[in-house]
Amino acid sequence: MDGPLDGAQRRRGVVRAPQSLVAGIGLILLGLFGIWASSDLEYGSLRAIGPGLMPFWLSLGVIACGIALAVAGFTHDGAPLQSFTLRGPVVVILAILLFAITIRPFPFGGITTPGLGLIVAGPLAVIVGGYATHEARFLDLVTLALLLTAGCMILFGDLLNLPIPIFPNAVVQALTGTIPARTMLRIAAGALALFGLLLMLLQRRSHKRGTVDVARHSLTT
Amino acid sequence: MKKAFAFGFLAAMTAFAARADSYPQRPITMVVPFAAGGPTDVIARIVAEPMSKVLGQQVVIENVAGAGGTTGITRASQSAPDGYTIMMGHMGTHGAAPALFKGLKYDPAKSFDPIGLAAGTPIVIVAKKTMAATDLKGLVEALKSGGSSINQAHAGVGSVSHSTGVLFDSIIGAKPTLVVYRGTGPALNDLVAGQVDFMTDQIVNVAPQIAGNTIKAYAIATPERSPSLPNVPTTKEAGLPDYQVSAWNAVFAPKGLPEDVRKKLVDALDAAVKDPNATKRILELGGTVPKTEEAGPVALQKLVESEVARWTPVLRSAVEGSNP
Amino acid sequence: MPDLVSNLGLGFSVALSLQNVALCFLGCLVGTLIGVLPGVGPIATIAMLLPITFGLDPVGALIMLAGIYYGAQYGGSTTAILVNIPGEATSVVTALDGHQMARQGKAGIALGTAAIASFFAGTVATLLIAALGAPLTQLALIFGPAEYFALMVMGLAFAIVLAHGSVLKAVAMILLGVLLAVVGTDLETGQERMTFGFSFLTDGVDFSVLAMGLFGVAEILRNLDSTETRDVMRERIGRLLPSFADLKQATPATLRGTAIGATLGILPGNGAVLGPFAAYTIEKKLAKDPSRFGRGAIEGVAGPESANNAGAQTAFIPLLTLGIPPNAVMALMVGAMTIHGIIPGPGVMTKSPELFWGMIASMWVGNLMLLVINLPLVGVWVRLLKVPYRLMFPAILMFCSIGIYSINSLPTDVIMIGFFGFMGYLLIKFGFEPAPLLLGFVLGKLMEEYLRRSLTLSRGDPMVFLERPVSAVLFIIAFAIVAAALLPSLRKSRDEVFTEA
Repeated sequence: MDGPLDGAQRRRGVVRAPQSLVAGIGLILLGLFGIWASSDLEYGSLRAIGPGLMPFWLSLGVIACGIALAVAGFTHDGAPLQSFTLRGPVVVILAILLFAITIRPFPFGGITTPGLGLIVAGPLAVIVGGYATHEARFLDLVTLALLLTAGCMILFGDLLNLPIPIFPNAVVQALTGTIPARTMLRIAAGALALFGLLLMLLQRRSHKRGTVDVARHSLTT
Repeated sequence: MKKAFAFGFLAAMTAFAARADSYPQRPITMVVPFAAGGPTDVIARIVAEPMSKVLGQQVVIENVAGAGGTTGITRASQSAPDGYTIMMGHMGTHGAAPALFKGLKYDPAKSFDPIGLAAGTPIVIVAKKTMAATDLKGLVEALKSGGSSINQAHAGVGSVSHSTGVLFDSIIGAKPTLVVYRGTGPALNDLVAGQVDFMTDQIVNVAPQIAGNTIKAYAIATPERSPSLPNVPTTKEAGLPDYQVSAWNAVFAPKGLPEDVRKKLVDALDAAVKDPNATKRILELGGTVPKTEEAGPVALQKLVESEVARWTPVLRSAVEGSNP
Repeated sequence: MPDLVSNLGLGFSVALSLQNVALCFLGCLVGTLIGVLPGVGPIATIAMLLPITFGLDPVGALIMLAGIYYGAQYGGSTTAILVNIPGEATSVVTALDGHQMARQGKAGIALGTAAIASFFAGTVATLLIAALGAPLTQLALIFGPAEYFALMVMGLAFAIVLAHGSVLKAVAMILLGVLLAVVGTDLETGQERMTFGFSFLTDGVDFSVLAMGLFGVAEILRNLDSTETRDVMRERIGRLLPSFADLKQATPATLRGTAIGATLGILPGNGAVLGPFAAYTIEKKLAKDPSRFGRGAIEGVAGPESANNAGAQTAFIPLLTLGIPPNAVMALMVGAMTIHGIIPGPGVMTKSPELFWGMIASMWVGNLMLLVINLPLVGVWVRLLKVPYRLMFPAILMFCSIGIYSINSLPTDVIMIGFFGFMGYLLIKFGFEPAPLLLGFVLGKLMEEYLRRSLTLSRGDPMVFLERPVSAVLFIIAFAIVAAALLPSLRKSRDEVFTEA
């Protein structure tokens, strides 16, 4: 999959369906990549098919589809390339990555990230991720992050007892022996929720409009 | 800079906390390298319950499945040797893995502090209902003379049925065609339907079918008969004493546990496998609880070393010379 | 027949005890609530919730687990409809038309239809299990590897019909899906395929990861691009429950879906996964105006949902009568049973009839509970759609991350949803649909296994697929479906073949 080409300019040229052409080229490249990636595997025989047979033929199939699509790009009129925005994908993926490397210690080349647990990873993902749109408002996101994290801590950590790290490793070790883990979880979740609610109230007062508009309806239509 | 200082401080506190001889102070994580609900997971959960009681802290099961169990074991082996992360290893992860995974990041015999054997599940030799042979000797003859026209099922390279199956073949000198399944369920299904001829697998998987008379059991590869299959002879009785194999599950900790922590864990596990309720549940599954000479870290270390030595040649040659 | 009545009587006397009804309710509720988290399907839900049943007595635990299973299944469909994130293979199809309905302000109708169709299918399937469980099992044993291979090929043929755009692009997506499915350790030789030395790829790509990325994250990225679509979704919320006319329209689809799903569910080789696809294909073929499909057709929700639920129930047949789990969910159920000291198999029915029949009766009770829980919840779910999108998507993002992490405790899984999310975004931008890719992925894995297994068993003779009657028939059907899908588009002006989107 290559980046976008300047579709608008090529539209009137030899290329009649830029989207098909680029998609086709993308498929061809993917197919070639598949053949390369599976080139170390044997094909085997019909009696004992080797691990490389399916990947090879599938890649060929993808290439064939790619060629057909690319050719169609010259012979038939079709859709132009769609516009891309970078902000959404970049920020959202950044948020996902941040969550992944902070939830627990993650070896990253030579260094290992400190495991910070849900209490850090969660808000980080929500607040950073929220900036994927222009409409992001910092205080709203912080409120949301606090409330959601508190809810998830109670749901996953307390009620379901899942072994998902909640607190930073260092804190867990430091506090070992002082307070039971459950109590610590509940206190922290309570504090987060409290902060979140306070923020929400403050904002209500300043905006006069709630962040969440509640619909009025009944079940009987 | 501030952060570095804070971490240094916390690390110092950690060291201090670990030295305070009141282990355990918080829940202990037991990594199970297979998905929830599998035989190893079941045994881990049965053992974790009485262990928690003895230790006075919850032993929490964390399932980290992947790559024949080596993903979870690798991760657990790299965690701090403070007694708060232990793991349930088994025949595959601590016996067969070195032969099957080239880039294995741990050494079953050297990277761990063994705690002790938890339970074994005996291996049973089973065949389709229509198999003509009446006893194990007959089956062995049929397999030898049948050559590659015989179909042997197994649940994937590295699975218990695969390792124990190729060991069986190498002992009796048979060369059946190996038919691969993803997991024991589908393999058993085709055995019941008669699509394949025979396989070797853990008792807990095949006992219901044997009881329901949809497949035939020829022998059980333990020194004594199993109470859940009293009519099935042992391999010794049936004339194949060399085939002694069991899928064992054992608790390990990362290498370098403080001595007092190690001792507490060993004692807790020992009490757990002697707990009458746990014993009863393991036996109900057709499993075996460790005998006195099998229990404890020393015996486990020996077991691991002998298992690695036993599986490596068998599996290496099996993987290289798969179906003609 | 009197046997059946007395057996069911026994079953209901067990299932309707106060404790068991409460457990069933609790299971369904918790299952629904967890299953509704984006991308968290039944397998993940059951794996997460399994430990909470350990303290109960075996019958109660199994009833609660079955409740969790149905709840999770239903919760997964809810997410598929509302935010277009299928939690498992079978709700991919529900997402197609269900989410379109939600976008048109008909989320309530879609959810209501799904609940009612599921309930109906569940009722029929329960009766079927009770009456015919044992004999049907024998039928299932006719299916060998060759038949399953043919079945999977047929499934891929369905996938072509599934796509509403260009056939060529759908085929490319299916092939790509199968190609993705072969990543990981080769089952037969243990060799690593296309893993590039990454240890997190040795087990291949997880379905939840792929689905969450391609549907969930990609959907967010797409919505961030275009402000209009999501506002339409927010502004118009119509009826909350399907009207009589809606139900009338959905009824034939529900009946057919139930029959298809129940039949395929009996097959021990994970035939249930095909149910919804098959039901959808048939509805699309039978419809007077097939172009409505993929644009919010109510039959496209009712058919697959009933097939899904019927299959989910009849999948218990091989488990309860043979002791053989047909799919990953059932394998988890086996684990749950063994933890409670029950080894599922032919013996269960005779050894502990109260457990066997109690569980069957509780299936129906569970389905009823789902209806009771979910019809009122429809209002709540639909209200969720009114949350401004700028707050909604970070929340979805967080739930996706936590959900996927909690399945295997692997941060790499979380990273992978980002990767597949971006891939899905590119695919959408180039006019490809992710659904055929996902179907190719699911069936591809099974297909390769069955192909290699059949050829190993036939010692390399490909005629095995045509010599066996069931397999031959399935191949003919597959061929007919492909021909039917290709011919009209070939006859159309050729431009449309390639660019209709």
